This record gives sequence, C-alpha cells and structure tokens, in this order.
Amino acid sequence: MVSATELVATAGENAAAPVAVSRPTLRRMPSERALIRGALAGSEADLEALFRRHWPRAYRAAYLIVHDHAAAEDIAQEAFLAAVRRLDRFDRRRPFAPWLGTIVVNRAIDWARARTARRESGEPLQDTVGAEPPAAGYSREVLAALAELSPEHRAVVVLRYVLEYTPGEIADALELPRGTVNSRLRRGLDVLERTLRERELR
Amino acid sequence: MSAERAIACAPAPDESAAEERAWAVVQSAYRARPATSPRGRARRRLVLAPLVFAAAVALALSPAGAAVRRVVDRALGVPHAARALFSLPSPGTLLTSGADGTWTVDASGTKRRLGPWRQAAWSPHGLYLAVAGPDELAAVDPRGQVRWALSRPQVSDPAWYPANGYRVAYLSGHTLRVVAGDGTGDRRLASAVAGVAPSWRPDHPYDLAYVTASGRLVIRDADTGRRLWSVGGAWVTRLAWSADGRELLAAGRGQLTVYRGDGTVVTTVRSPARAPIVDAALAPDGRSLALVRGGSGEDVLVEAVTRSAIPRRVLSGQGLETVLWSPDGRWLLVSWPAADQWVFVRASGRPGIDGVSHIAEQFAVSRAHMPQLEGWCCTAQGTAG
Repeated sequence: MVSATELVATAGENAAAPVAVSRPTLRRMPSERALIRGALAGSEADLEALFRRHWPRAYRAAYLIVHDHAAAEDIAQEAFLAAVRRLDRFDRRRPFAPWLGTIVVNRAIDWARARTARRESGEPLQDTVGAEPPAAGYSREVLAALAELSPEHRAVVVLRYVLEYTPGEIADALELPRGTVNSRLRRGLDVLERTLRERELR
Repeated sequence: MSAERAIACAPAPDESAAEERAWAVVQSAYRARPATSPRGRARRRLVLAPLVFAAAVALALSPAGAAVRRVVDRALGVPHAARALFSLPSPGTLLTSGADGTWTVDASGTKRRLGPWRQAAWSPHGLYLAVAGPDELAAVDPRGQVRWALSRPQVSDPAWYPANGYRVAYLSGHTLRVVAGDGTGDRRLASAVAGVAPSWRPDHPYDLAYVTASGRLVIRDADTGRRLWSVGGAWVTRLAWSADGRELLAAGRGQLTVYRGDGTVVTTVRSPARAPIVDAALAPDGRSLALVRGGSGEDVLVEAVTRSAIPRRVLSGQGLETVLWSPDGRWLLVSWPAADQWVFVRASGRPGIDGVSHIAEQFAVSRAHMPQLEGWCCTAQGTAG
C-alpha cells in the first residue's frame, strides 16, 4: 500500500530576496485520518485533498474494468459520493483507499455485466455510442488483452496492480476464496504477458 | 515491459477533465449535507418537539384530532426528512420532467439535466430516453445527447416498446403516431385520440392500448393496424400494462379496472366522488397496486390486485400527487408538492418511510412547478419499473 504520508519540498517565502537564500521547508502532507477528520468537521479543503489523492487510481481502475471512459467517470464519481454520504460511519482505523476501491470495482463489475446483458438483448442504437478519446497511457494491445478477460478477472488484475491490494485484501473485497484470487491473477497476467510478447515480436 | 508495469501507472483517457467534473459534483453533494454536529442535531429536535407535543395533546383532548393531524401533516410533511436526495433506497434511476426540463437521478443521488424537455420516458433497459419538446420528439442518451429527432406539432406522452425498444408511440395533438426505435418509419396509427398516454403491451409485439376521443379504450396491433378489442373507456385517464403483459390497468377519477389481455375484467375498484383516484400504478410483478386517493384526506394505499386482499394504507397526507414503484417492487415513491417533498415508502415487509425535502430547490424550480415523476428504471437485469 502506498504510505499515507508524503514529504514535499517547497521554496521559502522569500524566494525573490536578492541576498538571502531560503532553505527549503519540508511540509508533511496530512494523513488520511486527519483529512477525514477535517472533512467531517466541515473542511472542504480536506475533502478535496482526499478526493485529489484518490481520484486517479479510482478512475483508472474503473476504466480498465469497463473500457468506457464515460462509465468509468460515473462509477468513480459515485464511489466518492458514497464516501461523502458514509464518512461519519467510516472506521478511521481502516485505510480509506481499499474501502473506496472496493466500491469502485464492485460497481464496475456490475456495469460491465449489465452491458453484456444489454448486448445480448439486442438494444437498438448501440452503434451510435460516442467515440472514445485516445487511450492515453494504455496501449491498444493491453486494453485488448484485458478485454479478453471477464469483468471479474479484470477486476482482480486491476485491484492487484493499479490499486495495489494484496491477494488477501482482494479476496475480502470481492468475497472470493484466496485460491480463486490467485488463479484469476495468474490467468490475467498470462493473457497480458502473451499479448505483450506478441507485440514485441512484430 | 512486464504486464504489471503495462497497466500499473498509466493515466486513463480524459482523466484530468473527468476529475474536475467529478469534483464539482462531489463538492456540491458535500455542501448539501445536513449539519452533522451533535449540537446541530439536538437543536433540530428542540425546534420540532414543541410542535409535535402540541399536536399530541390536541389529539388526546379534541375529537377533531384528525383535523389537527392533517394540519400537522400539511405543515411538516414527513418529519425529519432529509434535506437533499442523497441516494435512492433501491437500485435504478429516476426520471423527472418539469418547468426546468428533464432530469435523471441515479441511485447515488447524482442529478443530471438532460435538456429542456417537457416529458420523457425510458427505453426498456435505460440506455436511452424518448423526450418530448413543444413540437419535437427526440431520442437522447442518459447524458442528454440527441440521437435523433422528429419535428411534429404538439408532441406528448412518448412510450418505448418494452423489452426491445424497436417502437416508440407518441401523441401529436389528437393523433397517435408510431416510429421505429432508430427514428425511421414515422407514421400515423390513429386519428381523433384522447389525451391519454398510450401503453405498449409487454411480450406482445406490438400491441398498443390507447383511448379514442369518442371514449373507447382500444387495443391495436401497431404494425398491422388490426383492432384486437375495445371497451367503453371515456372515464380513463391513465393506462399501464403489467410487466408481463398479462393485465392492463385502466384508471380514472372514479374507477379503476384491471383487464386481462383478452379484455375480460379481473377487478374493478370504484371511488366515491369525495375520494377520487388521483394516481395509480401497477407493481412490476403485476400483483399489487398503489393508489393515491384525493379528497379531504389523501392516502396512498397498497392493494393486491385481486379483490380478496385488504388494502393497506402506507401513507397519508393532504396533497399527495403521483406514485411510482421501484424497479424491484420493494418501494413506492410518492410526490408531495404541498410539502415540497418526495416520500419513499416501503411497499412490503417492515414498514419504512424516508422523506426528502426541498425538492423544488434541488431542481431549481418554484414549489408551484415541482418536477413530475416520469419513471424509475431499471433493475440489474435491465427491466424497467
């Protein structure tokens, strides 16, 4: 897990002074627990810091499971809204990221399953869905390889390598036996590695 | 590059812009939260307690306790109502239309304005909506992007065919028209129809129920034009088929009748003039009925469709208006414009009522123009409620 504490170096206040050289100050970023406490006390700034800290991974996790940037935005946004609603009931002894990540991944799996069901029913206008923006940092091959996996397999891979859950945490989040998690991880990586190897050989 | 590195750290498409949009929504929800300080909660209780106590005393001492209760109900609506719609008690997405246009509200309470439409209806799996403007019928996606549009005069009451969405029926003035789900093949099905929203029969493509201007309730095959059956229906103001297409609910102010698919009557409920039927809705499974009755005391009753069950009153108050079932059939949503509230009522099992206040403010309209509830869609399997 990523440490909740980071050290940031900033320039001193008198950086424009012609003679004095400011010593960099080391500012300790507030802990997650402090941010949650602040958000509960009414600090919008603390809530925003919590949001900014966790948005990228939440959004990327959703995107890698559903492969639809608009749906990923809705899913990640919903997860944060659920967090805002339940903040006062959140157990601050637990880390925030796994709790948020579980909401994201479970909703993403639900969405991906529902999309599969809709495709099977032959809903019209499917071919007029808006174009996806460029896939940013992900190669088409990686996305295609992930698409070969079921949403449940994708979720396990994403939880492990994007949200950095341990296999035990994945088993808890998805309510799966540990052995199932390990086998889904293995299969997911095998598919990805095979695809990337084929790309390198071209 | 290893597979792990390939997916670990790269940004996703549109990540930064999505972050800013999402923060705006999260920030808005955070600001709308009620005060959570213990002192704030205690203060609210002190404000309410004298009024509740006074009402209780009045009820104990006065034979007009019912009148006092109605005054209290009218003044407060559901007590301790949430200040904003933070979430829905059941999966699915609400659809509303009003003076400020058409909105969706998803299960997390996120509201999205789709556009300046006056009416709207879900497609069968909630992927699209048919919307009506003053002189336009359109299909839009859940983000409000128009997929196709037709210019027709006085468009109202759009209805998608359930299950596959391959037909959309709508009224254009006093004409009933049908168009394909992709906007092609628009044609007139019937002239001289009443202003009652048509209703498709599920699992029976493409049977459509509507009411003629001369007062007949008609079931017609929309593709061949063949009339399947008709009965007298001058009293009908609302039509709705059950989700399995076996029964048709026809409701009017003084009467409600449930028909089988062949036109025979299952049951009829008559309402006296002092307690007219304001609204009615069949549960998704077709076994229960929710009625809003008007008059001096308005009730929302949940009744089983068959005559033998005893109706159960689930909510009471002046000025209740429309009722919707949740897609899973476990909850009712009742609009209460007089109290500026929406009220979620558990339809079965353990009793439960959740009120949400300040509805008009949340949709940026005046209390005189509270948004109309249009629908609540869909279950995880993609069926509309």
